Amino acid sequence: MRKNSGDMEIALEVQQPRLRAVPATETARPQLDASDPSDADLLARVGEHDREAFEILYGRYVRPVFSLALRKLHDRGHAEDAVQEAFAAIWRSASTYRPERGAAGGWLYTVARNAIVDRLRRNGPATDAELPELVSGERDPSQQAEDSEVSWRVHRALEELQPREREVIELAYWSGMSQSEVAGYLGLPLGTVKTRTRSGLAKLADVLEGELL
Amino acid sequence: MTHEPNFDELIGTEATSEERERLHHAHDLLVQAGPPPELPPSLQKAPSFGVFSLHQRRVVKRRALVLLAAALSVAVVFFAGYAVRGGGSSAKAPHPVVALSLKGTSALPQAQATLQVWKARDGNWPMTLSVVGLPKLANHGYYEVYLVRNGHPWGLCGSFRGAGSSTALTVTLNAPYSLHKGDSWVVTRPTASGSEPGRTVLSPVSA
Repeated sequence: MRKNSGDMEIALEVQQPRLRAVPATETARPQLDASDPSDADLLARVGEHDREAFEILYGRYVRPVFSLALRKLHDRGHAEDAVQEAFAAIWRSASTYRPERGAAGGWLYTVARNAIVDRLRRNGPATDAELPELVSGERDPSQQAEDSEVSWRVHRALEELQPREREVIELAYWSGMSQSEVAGYLGLPLGTVKTRTRSGLAKLADVLEGELL
Repeated sequence: MTHEPNFDELIGTEATSEERERLHHAHDLLVQAGPPPELPPSLQKAPSFGVFSLHQRRVVKRRALVLLAAALSVAVVFFAGYAVRGGGSSAKAPHPVVALSLKGTSALPQAQATLQVWKARDGNWPMTLSVVGLPKLANHGYYEVYLVRNGHPWGLCGSFRGAGSSTALTVTLNAPYSLHKGDSWVVTRPTASGSEPGRTVLSPVSA
């Protein structure tokens, strides 16, 4: 194996997860609407190696998968690799998904979790330096598993919101700003922020009630 | 991150008790879930794993033919200029960051290949695999290229179909990972049991 090491970018840096206090304006995928294909439809198409379907599915799930990987691996670089492996596994095994056996979201969660656990095993035990700010020593494994599932569901559901709704929800919950401050930050009337927050929360409730994981 | 928004401030007082309960459930889940992480640049775009559907492969094939024609045109112009000027330097030709020779294992001893890994773009390492001696697999089966780390297949870099035992084939693949010193690659084919990765059919030639 010959390497031109001068050109080779070796990425070994260990970084702690950087949580987003203010939402980015970018969206990794187009906003969904009622005409969008279901996850099950997309999986069927991915099973036939349909690249477009894979990209849509990726847009819907990359954030939940990355979030899950960060929770379990506590290392950003490893988590990025685990995400790639999870989607490689989805690409490879989508044709084995059977809708009659359960919701597509549950199947995707299982495949992603397995890929992440495989990555965890290959990495070996985490060093002290990698140990987590995200997992408290007081939470037992079942609670941690529940947290992971809740994060998966909520982060997936957030992808269903209009960008303007998601923006105010993320600012309201994770920026530390009051509604008035959010309004000032976005340059919007307070009433508009309240309306968007409430409609976003209502839509989240709909999505979270309707899905089975 | 410890700030928890005031539910009443968010929702106001106009909602019915039933609606408030429903929204409160979503509120509680949001608080429990915490914020989604910001995606790094390497995850902004879906990775490519090599085999597309038939329709898309036709599109890709057409594009590839157009690109090939363009590349040939450029090559003709380049070599014409080269001939007129009586020679030149190849210093600007791109160099792979990794170049690897592979040989067939006992499963396919006649197979051989070269693998070139090019400079990464947005966390993706494009790779060119030129191979000869890989037969077509039954049932439209495909070979897979794995990144090998610490002696074990570690990450899928793409898949492709064999062109026949005596036909040369060049495919473009991608390693969407952070590469480490000592990384290598192998080509595998599926096993009857369907386990992943399959049996290694091409492995690096020892230095």
